[in-house]
Parts: sequence; C-alpha cells; structure tokens
Amino acid sequence: MLQAHSFLWHYLWLAPHLLQVVLAAMVWRRGLHKLFPIFFAYLVFEAIEEFTLYGLDVIPSVSPEMFWRAFCVGLIIEGFIKLGVIGELFFHLLQPWPVIAKVGSRLITGTGTALVLLATLAAALVVPDNTHWFISGSHILQQTFYIVECGLLVFLLSFAAYFKLAWDNCAFGIALGIGILSCEHLASWAVMANGGLLDRRQLLDFLNMATYHLCVLIWFYYLLIPQKSATTFAVLLPENNLDIWNRELERLLQQ
Amino acid sequence: MNIAIILVIAAVVALGIILRLAVTQRLQGKSSASLAGTIRPIDLAAFRNLISPSEDDYLRRRLPPAQFRAVRRERLRAMAAYVHVAGRNAAVLVRVGEAAMANGDPRIAEAAHQLVNDALLLRRNTTVALARIYLALAWPNSGFAAVRVVDRYQDVSSTAMLLGRLQNPAVPVRLSSLS
Repeated sequence: MLQAHSFLWHYLWLAPHLLQVVLAAMVWRRGLHKLFPIFFAYLVFEAIEEFTLYGLDVIPSVSPEMFWRAFCVGLIIEGFIKLGVIGELFFHLLQPWPVIAKVGSRLITGTGTALVLLATLAAALVVPDNTHWFISGSHILQQTFYIVECGLLVFLLSFAAYFKLAWDNCAFGIALGIGILSCEHLASWAVMANGGLLDRRQLLDFLNMATYHLCVLIWFYYLLIPQKSATTFAVLLPENNLDIWNRELERLLQQ
Repeated sequence: MNIAIILVIAAVVALGIILRLAVTQRLQGKSSASLAGTIRPIDLAAFRNLISPSEDDYLRRRLPPAQFRAVRRERLRAMAAYVHVAGRNAAVLVRVGEAAMANGDPRIAEAAHQLVNDALLLRRNTTVALARIYLALAWPNSGFAAVRVVDRYQDVSSTAMLLGRLQNPAVPVRLSSLS
C-alpha cells in the first residue's frame, strides 16, 4: 500500500496542492489576500513549486540531479516565504497593542537569532546521508529551516497565550496549520538528514504529504468558515471586586 | 543519529505545546463569562509598604546584616506573591477587555481598548518585576523598586472601574474621589 508512485502517493502529492489552488482562489475572492499577502503568496508559490517538482519527478528525461537542484531552489524560496508568514502573523497579533509590540519584536528577534545559531550547530553535527551533496544538502537545509520555523511558532503561540491575546480566526488557523506542519516536517527531515530509516524513506514521504494534506484542510476550515460570534458578549465586572478595589484605592488616597 | 533523536523529541514536545495552546485558546473564548470572578483583590497599602525603600533603609539601619538579609528575603517573597497576583489579574482583565471590545457602544469599546492596553502594560511590568525580585532574592542587599507595578495597577483599576460603570450603570461604583 505505502509504495512510492502508488495511487495514494500520487494523490497525496497532488491533492493538497490542488486544494491549495482552490483555497488561494477563495482567499482572493474574499479579499483575505489583502490581510495576509505573504500567506497568499505562500499558497500560490507552494502549489506552483509542487506541481513543477511532480512534473520533474514523473518525466523520464529529467535527471535526478536536475530534480534535486530544483528541489533545493524551491525549498530556499519557500523557507523564506514561510518565515515571512510567521512575521505577518506576529504583526497581526501585536498591531492593535503597541504597548507590547516593542518588547515582542525584541523577543522574537532574540529568539530567531538563537534558533538560527541552534540550527547551524545542528547542521554542523549532521553526518551527510548521501554522496550527492545536493541531496544531503537539501535534507540539511530542510532541517535547518524547520528548526527555526518550529521554534518561532512555539514562541509566537506562547507569547500570545502568556499575554492572553485574542487571535483572529484566520491568523489562528494559519498559525496552527504551519505549526503542525513545521513540527512534523522537522522530525521527518531530521531523521532523513541524519541517515535514519534509509530503507523506508517512502514512509517519511507519506507522513510528510499526509500532514501537509491535513494542514491544508485546517486552513480551509479557519479561513473559509465564518467566525462564530460567541466571543462578542460582554463580561461584566463583579461589583464586589470593584467595591474592594475602590475601598483600597480610597484608603490609599486618604493616607 | 543522536542529533536526529534530539530533534525528533524536540519536535514532538513542540507539537504538544502547540496543540495544548491551541486547545487552551479555543476554550478561552468559551469560558469568558466566568472570568471576572477570578480577579483577586490586592491590598495596595500593604503592597506599597513592602516595596517602600525607606522601610528597607530603616530595617537595614536597625538590624544586624544577617538578620536584615533574612527579613529582606521574606519581604521579597511576599512582594513576589503580590506581583504574581497583580500579573494574574492583568491577564484576566485583558480577556475581560477583549470580550467587551466587540460591544456596539463606542464608549464601552473605547474603555475596553484602554483597559486591554493598560492591563498588557501591567502584565509586562509584573513579568519584569518578578524577574528582578528573584534576582534580588539572590542578592538581598541590592536595591529594588516595584513602584511602577503599583502605579500601573492603580491605572488598570481605574480603567476597569470605568468599564464596569459603562457596562452596568446600576452598580454604584465610586469614581469621583479619583478624579
């Protein structure tokens, strides 16, 4: 069942990206591309990249070296676009609250720098799994990008949770999808980059593709299902607390 | 291969954190109704006494160094407890304010926005203050002031009272003595 080039393999490679094209079109129609331009660019680029790679993989005249070179170029561009998406999410989260925007920017810059150093160290410790530098190099590059992305997303979600910042439904869905994707891809690319599961690589490919499919569905749900108005009710402050506060403040003022 | 194992474990932990935060975030929106009841009042006078530099100076002059350090540590622990409650209250008020921001009345929405702003600043200040208190626990002789936390707490209190009065005019909230 889980064989490279089986029906399931073709489906998992193509279907999420076809859905992504549909999602990009619907995002455009609803005007969400103005709110999340980098995420929209990511949807479009990822679909084009994967269709190109699929074509290169199935056309017999394309050499493996050419495929891997295209793969490398694609993943570098994709990596930077995804970092841009994380920046866009951070901007959306903090834009209404300038009082913590500065400290947030400093913290995310510091976290990003630390993650880049960590990813560089992890890359330096990798023993190449392939004699072709562009294959092992692309595995290491994937691992490096996913360490940074995964760390930044954990930081972003933790920062929002610590300050109890409310997420916009769309931004939350994007963050959740990219978060799940980054964690799973980090694990599988780390195994590949370090020469693990050499004879069962197709299992990791299936896992990566299935996770991507799940994440596209998550984006569909959060970007296209209208937000419920459950959080729009007002929370009344209890009078007993306000009385106590008043008493304390008045006592302070009378000193 | 060791680095791969470490990274796989890190990825699983990160996934767990992300999923947990996602679930918490979803539940947070549904439990907003009972939020305000979780606010814990703070005795500001006692708090001010704890952070007063003159009190510290007095104790430093009166007590032998070893006893002063012990007393200072006790005061710092108490201070940390107050700051922790202030930070927790700030987090609750952020959610109270966010829930009120969707209100159709622009006065309530504006007061709610101001409350969230003040509460976020208080939350940030309490975090920094807590870090400094824990540092001061290691060096009890060093000077430390948490006056900004108390001042910020007062600002948040008055904004919360304003929001409470706008939301529920029937409640006799006394603001006159503050203005």
